[in-house]
Amino acid sequence: MGKKQKLAEIHQALNCDPVDIETLRRAAVSKGGLLTDEIRRKVWPKLLNINVFDLPPKPGKDVRENHRDHNQVLLDVRRSMKRFPKGKQLIDIILDVLKCHPQLHYYQGYHDVAVTLLLVVGERMALALLDKLSNFHLRDFMDPTMDSTKHILNYLMPILEQVDTELHDFMIRAEVGTIFALSWLITWYGHVLSEFKYTLRLYDFFLASHPLMPIYLAAAIVLHREKEVKTTECDMAMVHHLLSRIPQDLPYELLIAQAQELFDHYPPSVLAKKAALQSRKSLSISTFQAFQLSTLHQRPDSVLQRLTKNPAPSSSNMALLPREPSSLWGQGNRVVKMAVWGLSATLGAAVFAVAQTAMEWGPEVLLQLF
Amino acid sequence: MAGIGSSLEFSGSLTSSSLPPPRTRIFKIIVIGDSGVGKTCLTYRFCAGKFPEKTEATIGVDFRERLVDIDGEKIKIQLWDTAGQERFRKSMVQHYYRNVHAIVFVYDVTNAASFRSLPAWIEECQQHALGSEVPRILVGNKCDLRDSLQVSTDTAQQFADSHSMPLFETSAKSPGGPEEGTHRDSDHVEAIFMTVAHKLKSQKPLILSQPPAESRGPTVNLSRARDEGGRGWSCSSC
Ligand SMILES: Nc1nc2c(ncn2[C@@H]2O[C@H](COP(=O)(O)OP(=O)(O)OP(=O)(O)O)[C@@H](O)[C@H]2O)c(=O)[nH]1
Ligand SMILES: [Mg+2]
Repeated sequence: MGKKQKLAEIHQALNCDPVDIETLRRAAVSKGGLLTDEIRRKVWPKLLNINVFDLPPKPGKDVRENHRDHNQVLLDVRRSMKRFPKGKQLIDIILDVLKCHPQLHYYQGYHDVAVTLLLVVGERMALALLDKLSNFHLRDFMDPTMDSTKHILNYLMPILEQVDTELHDFMIRAEVGTIFALSWLITWYGHVLSEFKYTLRLYDFFLASHPLMPIYLAAAIVLHREKEVKTTECDMAMVHHLLSRIPQDLPYELLIAQAQELFDHYPPSVLAKKAALQSRKSLSISTFQAFQLSTLHQRPDSVLQRLTKNPAPSSSNMALLPREPSSLWGQGNRVVKMAVWGLSATLGAAVFAVAQTAMEWGPEVLLQLF
Repeated sequence: MAGIGSSLEFSGSLTSSSLPPPRTRIFKIIVIGDSGVGKTCLTYRFCAGKFPEKTEATIGVDFRERLVDIDGEKIKIQLWDTAGQERFRKSMVQHYYRNVHAIVFVYDVTNAASFRSLPAWIEECQQHALGSEVPRILVGNKCDLRDSLQVSTDTAQQFADSHSMPLFETSAKSPGGPEEGTHRDSDHVEAIFMTVAHKLKSQKPLILSQPPAESRGPTVNLSRARDEGGRGWSCSSC
């Protein structure tokens, strides 16, 4: 499919009512991804079910005051400033999300995700995207401990085992572990790629995919480097060193296609069974289905804009309320409210609201619902 | 967003063409301490010979190494640069505590909190069965920032003594002091890691990277270390 044709398809999908989310997802995954930042600004919010006409306000000044992770955020952002000048905005959006959701814990690398969003979509939209991602795709990484993250990393070796037993056994013998892929997973590769265009390409892919997809890509990368790995000394340090350095010229389009293929062949549920992965609750995984359902009933921007210009009475009252972290936008309810007010009362909004509430009760409840 | 750990880093001896011959002994040294104290800068300084222009947060564990010559024997020094944020330390870094030969604790002399965290780090190492037989040293970094000093040498020395560790104060930025260049000869960071290497070489039961090396170096006189600011290991113990 040519670029022009893809562009046309994307625009058509955006104008459907409801938005043709399947086509958008396919576009984000297929060769070239979403092509330009302009398109990303239109499609990324749809992939995450965000109404761009009802974005959260810019973080207030008070957001920077005494948060438990404040110093760490500052330290990490400052060190990445040379490359990314928008340090203040970056700190603000990170702290704003953390303040709104006390259950979310900052991790080093979260700033790499935030900066990628910020550079493409600007402050307010980045805030909305980051908020959503933090509650879904990145949720497991934001527990007080990294145990859930470790659990997600545990999916890597079983994938390798399915495809290349020899490679798998070699890595087991080397006792290399999976920490070499940690920064790949929790930053969606933003921390390790030097070319921003590749990072963006991968973000297109991951935003349209299952939360475990970064692990499937990690598997594709390791498999791609199979020969190098096997000829390395079978030693933890050597293998860790080799793998943790991502070559700068990887064929990303190919690897994305392979990751997708791996995912289709060995979906997480199958892996979990085969590898007898200890059953551990993953919020990211258990809420994914509900999340995906919630994206199915979005109105196109033209409609949303109209609705937001002539909002229902209740919603215009909301708009006048001053920004107060503890009031309407605060305490984790923001996402629900955005969904409920931003969209007309569609099934999507309802499902999403349920998903949010249920998440607080625990994923079992959620699973019963769907 | 590639951090120092990936594209920018170089490590002189890791390409396959320059792989050391088998039987090269490997000393594994883990470097730990709070986020921001300069672990990445110190390890980079030692392995690359310069202060990195920019570092980024270390996520998980990074690995650097350098081949050195100690009394005619080529030895590979492997530095494990770990993440400082507590959440990584608790569940991620564990794997790497195994089989290390020495531990370098780092604090930032301009940050009292990083000094106060040391007992927790030491405790952590003990939990991973790294007892006092594994050589440990304490490094106070960022000594170039004299105006913002928060941890005095005396305080640090007392602490080091109470844990039977030698203390080194240095700066990854200008390890030879402000007047001197950054030549390796006048480089404290260099001296610190070499001291550890000498110490390890002189220890009797050595863990070898490859099966038996018939030769074992003679006990090394550690005359240099003391001049360079190391206190706590008396020469006799080396
Ligand atoms: N002035 C001065 N600054 C230093 C020195 N060493 C490190 N820094 C600075 O301190 C900051 C943190 O250094 P890093 O080496 O990244 O710290 P780290 O301990 O690896 O931190 P984590 O990876 O987060 O655990 C950076 O901005 C460095 O430039 C030093 O000796 N002098
Ligand atoms: Mg570091």
